[in-house]
Amino acid sequence: MDTVDLQTLEYLDSLAKIVAQTEDWKLTLDTLIASLRKHFVFDNIAIYILDYEARTRSIEVAYARALGRGHKAEADAAWGEVMAGQVLTSNQISVQEPINVEHIEKRLGHPYLLGLPLNTPTELIGALVFVRFGGPPYSQEQIHLASLVTMMISHAFERRIWKEKLKNLETLQSQLRMQEDFVATISHELRTPLGFIKGYSTTLLRQDTVWDENTRREFLMIIEEESDRLNELIESVLESARLQSDTLQMNIQPVRLDAIIRDVTTRVSARHKSVEVDLSCIQCTPILGDNVRLALVFENLFSNAIKYAPDTKITINIQRIGDFMRITFSDQGPGITGEHLPYIFDRFYRVPGQPGRTGTGLGLFICKQIVTAHHGNIWAESMPGKGTTFIIDLPA
Amino acid sequence: MSKRILIVDDEPRYLRLLEANLRTDGYDVITAQDGLQAIEVFSSNPVDLILLDIMMPKLDGFATCQRIREFSNVPIIVLTAKGEERDRVRGLDLGADDYLVKPFSATELLARVRAVFRRAQVSADVGQARYFIHGNLRIDFARAEVWRDEQTVSLSATEYRLLLQFSHNVGRILTAEDLLVSVWGPEYRTDKEILWVSIARLRQKLEDEPHSPKHIATRSGLGYLMPPMEEE
Repeated sequence: MDTVDLQTLEYLDSLAKIVAQTEDWKLTLDTLIASLRKHFVFDNIAIYILDYEARTRSIEVAYARALGRGHKAEADAAWGEVMAGQVLTSNQISVQEPINVEHIEKRLGHPYLLGLPLNTPTELIGALVFVRFGGPPYSQEQIHLASLVTMMISHAFERRIWKEKLKNLETLQSQLRMQEDFVATISHELRTPLGFIKGYSTTLLRQDTVWDENTRREFLMIIEEESDRLNELIESVLESARLQSDTLQMNIQPVRLDAIIRDVTTRVSARHKSVEVDLSCIQCTPILGDNVRLALVFENLFSNAIKYAPDTKITINIQRIGDFMRITFSDQGPGITGEHLPYIFDRFYRVPGQPGRTGTGLGLFICKQIVTAHHGNIWAESMPGKGTTFIIDLPA
Repeated sequence: MSKRILIVDDEPRYLRLLEANLRTDGYDVITAQDGLQAIEVFSSNPVDLILLDIMMPKLDGFATCQRIREFSNVPIIVLTAKGEERDRVRGLDLGADDYLVKPFSATELLARVRAVFRRAQVSADVGQARYFIHGNLRIDFARAEVWRDEQTVSLSATEYRLLLQFSHNVGRILTAEDLLVSVWGPEYRTDKEILWVSIARLRQKLEDEPHSPKHIATRSGLGYLMPPMEEE
């Protein structure tokens, strides 16, 4: 039986140790390459990596060394780029030998090339090219050794890729955590109208300039609007906090949903004359609930509809289904795309891409809080271009 | 001639606030509502200072700042939200000259703008020229595109950054170390081979004759340079 000799085993062991024990990928490569050179002569080595971040999958040079002959020729020397391209296409080990090498001066233009693919278990990540000026051609043993080392190098690169991905994920995670941080988000939300109030008032207070009457009115109106917004925000935040606290005391009485909704509709129509509402109620029996809070649910739904689906008809339907009273609240606005739909009830979630600052971001969150406090359920269905329907189930 | 300021903010109410104050303080004002628009506007108009909001859709403030710094030293003041120290630090690290925290007072805004103008060094090289031309080579900084004889050239991110170094230093010899540190980072200071390979690749892509390069020339023992073209 042919056994692998001890020397070879010790050598392979030392190579494996380098990869296993060196953290920094560049140091790993330097050490591996230096060790490899004792048994496998080459002049230049270049490692090309597919840029996984770039949309265009461009090829970057990740590592290069000139260790032997011909390193004075610098940037004119051969780095096996064409060979690398071939290897990246074929995913195969590739050898290229010069056709005819006669004169020493011509050697640099006719190198021996050995190209090997770098692979992880799932994908081809790059190519490694050994360049040798002058013979002998690469032997089978050398190709095997090169292949082995290339696999170790793949490992080192894979580790590096994972490290970077991990770092990116961690940054993303901490950003998300910041967003979820209620206190941080609240201060940010509250500071936005404050920023305008401060900005516009200090503008009017400037002593070095005089503002004409129209501009003064414009700025003062902005200050007033932003103060209202601030007030609205504070109210919402407090309401939300009240709903969340364990000491919440709801005023539970028999209530008629159609009556509540009609009241809210009247109030809303007074503020927005163009609102058109179609209300129908089947089996309109009273349920147990908090009058004021349920009214708030519908006020928020109206508020949303007016902001996001202005001038479209609002259809409200109340119906008893089993043990529940189901209320559907539909508009005919632009609708919400599937990717945002799961998040609209989240605190401060606003569908991105909506122009301007609309809403406090708390409206639907509060709706959900109130409905849940009633042991009910609320969700939304929507098709882009076909409007949105909110469905509320409350125990009957 | 009054100085021109570019205001970039996705919130129209801030644009109005900033514009009103800056105009009455004697500045000329142009606006943009997102990062991409900012870069387009900046590349086609002379601008002396940029007020840049950090929170913006499409290209955010940081990325915009970085992109502008790729081809211009124009003074930049970033607008950040209070309490976000990391935003201020990041803005400054990416090349902003100062920051202004929202909510701010009008007088504070004007004082900072004045201060940044005082500090800014007017350099003859600082152009916001959108295009760079060198023989048959053309770089469109705003789009980060490179053209050779009216054909686009596909460069890797590193190759583009390397080319920028040369285009910003026409006629000046850059040492290998200079290039390695500025394009790859300080830990690559002695990795000369990676520079050689990259220059070789760049020449393959940009030069009519890679072995007699006209765009990126070697000065033996000294470094590399982009020689000035006789005719532009």
